[in-house]
Amino acid sequence: MLELLLWFALLSLLSVGGISTILPEMHRIVVEANGWVSAAEFTQLFAVSQAAPGPNVLIASLIGWKVAGFTGALVALAGICLPAAALAWWVGGLWERFRDAPWRALVQRALLPVTVGLVFAGGYVIATPAGLDWRSALIACASAAALYATRLNPLWILGGGGVAGAALFG
Amino acid sequence: MHAKLTPPRSAVEVFTGFLSIGARAFGGVLPWAHRVMVEERRWLAPRDFSEMLALCQFLPGPNIVNMSVVLGRRWFGLRGAAAGFLGLMALPFVWVLLLAALYADWASHPAVRAVVSGVGIAGGGLFLGTALKLGRPLASRPVALALVAGCFVAVGLLRVSLLIVLPVAVVLALLGARGRLL
Repeated sequence: MLELLLWFALLSLLSVGGISTILPEMHRIVVEANGWVSAAEFTQLFAVSQAAPGPNVLIASLIGWKVAGFTGALVALAGICLPAAALAWWVGGLWERFRDAPWRALVQRALLPVTVGLVFAGGYVIATPAGLDWRSALIACASAAALYATRLNPLWILGGGGVAGAALFG
Repeated sequence: MHAKLTPPRSAVEVFTGFLSIGARAFGGVLPWAHRVMVEERRWLAPRDFSEMLALCQFLPGPNIVNMSVVLGRRWFGLRGAAAGFLGLMALPFVWVLLLAALYADWASHPAVRAVVSGVGIAGGGLFLGTALKLGRPLASRPVALALVAGCFVAVGLLRVSLLIVLPVAVVLALLGARGRLL
């Protein structure tokens, strides 16, 4: 379990942009190097962590669960989250301290387009799990438009996606 | 959107706010974080949210988890950071374990798979809609839009690793910002 903690702590510090960046490396460590879960189980756990609400890092707690039950789940989640959270704590402090520095305004102006591009990319990747086809494009564009143009609760939009999924993929 | 901001008054409020994000974060956390913090509770101005997201996107770790720590710290120090982090993670942690227990029995059912795919794709759509909201201030700036498109193509379509795309994009963006193009 200590090994689990250390490996995940290492992954935590590499996970710039979230879980998708480290997924291949996590697969290598968890499946190939240590044999904690099989490749098929890994894919299934990933699907569950995607389907559940919340950050996708929760795949770490599912792997921890397979290795050592509830304690394993907590330990794995701590390993994958805390090093990055500690770094965020420290950088966040610096960021607030330089609130009025001219370079901060410059950095913010520079980062906004990059951030928006990455959020678009994230949406595209999530919306096309099996490649781009007209059905997924239809569902994704309709829900994007509904979120942008209406004040509808997003739960309704997701529900609509479920109904559309049943009609189009069923 | 111009109504007065109402930042949280206590660490407990930070906890419940992030709890309500985590509780409903089907299809991704970011759209819900934006909705709760900017639209429902008015903790942050839209611009402040974008800036926070930009910072947190570039740190390792999931961006909204980072945001819970950075914002919690800003408002109530270590107590606030812990409240934000635990609030955000508490319910998803329970959900995912429950779902894993159920999933084994239901995963092979084609109707269940179809519904789950539909929800997942709509979740992706929520990201696209949130990107539109965040990008609204950029609409009249062609260089910024080119950068948005470049990042989208590299990461979304070509699936280039962020460890490569981020440094390149940030350098280009900083040059653009210095030259007053962004």
